[in-house]
Amino acid sequence: MSEFRPTLRPALATKQAVASAALKLSPLPEGTIVHVLARPGEQDVVSFLGSLAKPAAHAVRPVSPGQWFIVHEEPMPHKEMKSLFAALEPRATGVDQSHGRVRIRIEGKMASRALSKGTAVDLDPSAFPVGQSAVTLIGHIAAHVTRVGPEAFEIIVLRGFAESLWDDLARMSLEFT
Amino acid sequence: MASLVPCPHCGQRPKEEFTIKGAALARPAADADAVDWFDYVYLRDNPRGAYEEYWHHTSGCRRWIVVTRDTVTHEVAASRDAADRARSEART
Ligand SMILES: [Zn+2]
Repeated sequence: MSEFRPTLRPALATKQAVASAALKLSPLPEGTIVHVLARPGEQDVVSFLGSLAKPAAHAVRPVSPGQWFIVHEEPMPHKEMKSLFAALEPRATGVDQSHGRVRIRIEGKMASRALSKGTAVDLDPSAFPVGQSAVTLIGHIAAHVTRVGPEAFEIIVLRGFAESLWDDLARMSLEFT
Repeated sequence: MASLVPCPHCGQRPKEEFTIKGAALARPAADADAVDWFDYVYLRDNPRGAYEEYWHHTSGCRRWIVVTRDTVTHEVAASRDAADRARSEART
């Protein structure tokens, strides 16, 4: 048997902190991300998901028509996830993306200015209020962006692109740090 | 980021977020004549002016959309989800 053992470490564990009074970049805990895909024609899936997710701990982020992410800071125990998947059926299907995607937080009064260098989405609070999500390109990398506070964004990106996107965001933030 | 394409789900987005597939033509019936299929698969009019095209919002909502666009001015007259377009055509 091979001596080789894959080790699971956070994707951004080796990254230097980026922080100043105007802007802060931080990796979010690699907790739970469940990708939910509704069957075509299903109505009121949002309220259905709201009833399944624990309102205080789980956030439901719209992704695209008929698709959502359920996000949680803590890893979800296997049994709990199995019962969540069972409860989703037959109206929707859940896919565990907890190890497949990584979350990054960018906050501060210059956060939207820095992000705007990479995306064409209008991040003005009137067009992109708290709770709003969008899937967009940040530079050359597709990412899911949510405004989680007046001056704070959560970015969900595929794990393989996380380091690259972090480096891009750090470079975009240079003038503010 | 010059050319903006309106996605019915995401709003105005730069063309870099999309993959363009080409003319949105009516698909022949499965048992249609070989001539009709040859036409559908290979022959294009390449018009100067109004054009209906499939675009895929690859780096956004990942939906196929049908954009009615002017190939000269890039003026976009309409943008619909391809599934809605297929449904509305099935009804007529
Ligand atoms: Zn879209």
